[in-house]
Amino acid sequence: MPSIQTNGLTKRFGDDVLAVDDLDITIEEGEIFGFLGPNGAGKSTTINMLLDFIRPSEGSAQVFGMDAQREAAAIRDRIGVLPEGYGFDDYLTGREYMEWAIETKGADDDPQALLELVGIADDADRVASGYSKGMQQRLAFGMALADDPDLLILDEPSTGLDPNGIQHMRSVIRDRAANGTTVFFSSHILSEVEAVCDRVGVMNEGRLVAMDSIEGLRESASGQATIELDCASPPPVDGVGDIDGVSRVDVSGTKLTAECTDPRAKVEVVKRVDRHADVVDILADNTSLEELFNQFTGGGRDSDVATPAGDNVQHVDAQEAEP
Amino acid sequence: MSTVTVAKKDFKSARRSKLLWAAAIALGLIAAFVGYVSGNAPGTDTQQVQLLFRVLTMILGILLPIVALVASYLAIAGEREGGGIKFLLSLPNTRRSVFIGKLLSRNGIVAGGVAFMYVAAISVALARHGAFPAGVIFGTLLVTLVYGGTFVSVALAMSSAAASRSRAIAGAFGTYFLLVILYVFPVVQIPTMVQWVHTTILGAEKNPDLYNAVQYTSPYLAYRKAINLVLPTEMRQMIFRSSLPEDVTRGSAEANEVLPLYLQDEFSLVVLAFWLVVPLLLGYLLFERADLE
Repeated sequence: MPSIQTNGLTKRFGDDVLAVDDLDITIEEGEIFGFLGPNGAGKSTTINMLLDFIRPSEGSAQVFGMDAQREAAAIRDRIGVLPEGYGFDDYLTGREYMEWAIETKGADDDPQALLELVGIADDADRVASGYSKGMQQRLAFGMALADDPDLLILDEPSTGLDPNGIQHMRSVIRDRAANGTTVFFSSHILSEVEAVCDRVGVMNEGRLVAMDSIEGLRESASGQATIELDCASPPPVDGVGDIDGVSRVDVSGTKLTAECTDPRAKVEVVKRVDRHADVVDILADNTSLEELFNQFTGGGRDSDVATPAGDNVQHVDAQEAEP
Repeated sequence: MSTVTVAKKDFKSARRSKLLWAAAIALGLIAAFVGYVSGNAPGTDTQQVQLLFRVLTMILGILLPIVALVASYLAIAGEREGGGIKFLLSLPNTRRSVFIGKLLSRNGIVAGGVAFMYVAAISVALARHGAFPAGVIFGTLLVTLVYGGTFVSVALAMSSAAASRSRAIAGAFGTYFLLVILYVFPVVQIPTMVQWVHTTILGAEKNPDLYNAVQYTSPYLAYRKAINLVLPTEMRQMIFRSSLPEDVTRGSAEANEVLPLYLQDEFSLVVLAFWLVVPLLLGYLLFERADLE
């Protein structure tokens, strides 16, 4: 039985906002699934429908085969959630929040062990509303881990965490997944998805635009790999353009640049050129994840800003830096 | 089970609010002050204490709705705006257990405030008069808790309907105005307005029973009438004078019995039950259907 399955899941807000459009995804048990997309793509709306915070306009969602709306409480018994837009606004300490989560789940976890696992044991007796964003994120993550859930739903989990925190969270996620927990993970940070996930779904403007492994995505993307060869003397062009998978060859001075539709063609280019000229330096560039992301999402929210291709990378970096 | 956990956490957090403690202490001081200034009328010690509690309920009639509204108007709206609802509903709680848990804890908070007042009033009464008329004390306490409960229900319904703090505040203000203020001040009063519409616009004959019946829909008047049920006959408040014959004397059993059934003291229980239950059902349905973002 899949851990998560949606059938034609659709959510409209008012008459003109289509937040999620006819979404079909299936996430199998034990998978780490990355749910990728720019801001406002509909990731959180989808998660909120899985958790019954909001109700679908059409279609349905099942978690462990149970209907997300009708059997919400039974589902919540088996999942751990790090929600988006939460707040610790009760006058309770981190430890009390953790104890409350454990008690509500009917679990027998040791609060101290979980607090230590997420690295806030030293601050556990302070009021949680006074925590920094990163510490709150750690606490929320720890609460999600209580009762060793069968499914972890993490909405932008690395938000506000420092690099160590992100590293640590990833390793905890991998540990849990290795023990059979399914992980559903939303993010707009590409490297994060690449580092953790088995499979990725890319969402844009409410639609699922791609679903595959990272390698599969790379292959299916029409992205170009580029190879630059610096030679001791001006290299001859003959035959390089005829290599399978090479789409364009440029020579300027001693530098040869070949654009390849198939990244594997690069090796052949080097071999061919090396027969006739001394290659002194090689610079290869695969389709970056950022370019992939841009291809699938059309630049996201910033697509209307006319940017040369090279600037796209910067634009995605800026997104990563978002808190 | 999860209802209790929700209520426990909510109550625990409220117990640490300095503002709530300050409010409870202020309520206690008000009650002690009332106990101190009243009780100079002729009569036995027991009567003095009974009168003291009657005065106390008159103050509570105006004050308790404020306490209950303030204590409850953010019960749901605050969790929605602050994001606490995300945790509540990520854990194995249903919306029903969240709603009922909030209801229990907010009623508990209001009951705590009332308890402060009663403890203060009882202490003063015992010190000054040495009397403890249990019937009147526990009777008024019970009716008062129900009255507070009606405003908790209304506030919780408002809180469910409002998606934000500001709307919940507006709802609480509006409620107090509509259900209390319009029945207290003599100039702008519901019966006066209804009479004006009835006689001036509709051109009908004056009908005091009708105006009183309209007025009786307010939990505020229902509370004062319900208090009559637990007071000795001679201390009862005469509320719908315009529906009574001229010769009825104040504080007689007749003053209640000659009224039509729907204006009698006993009918107040129906009104209170309505305000206790109907807003809760509406609020629950709204909350159950809402998109919580």
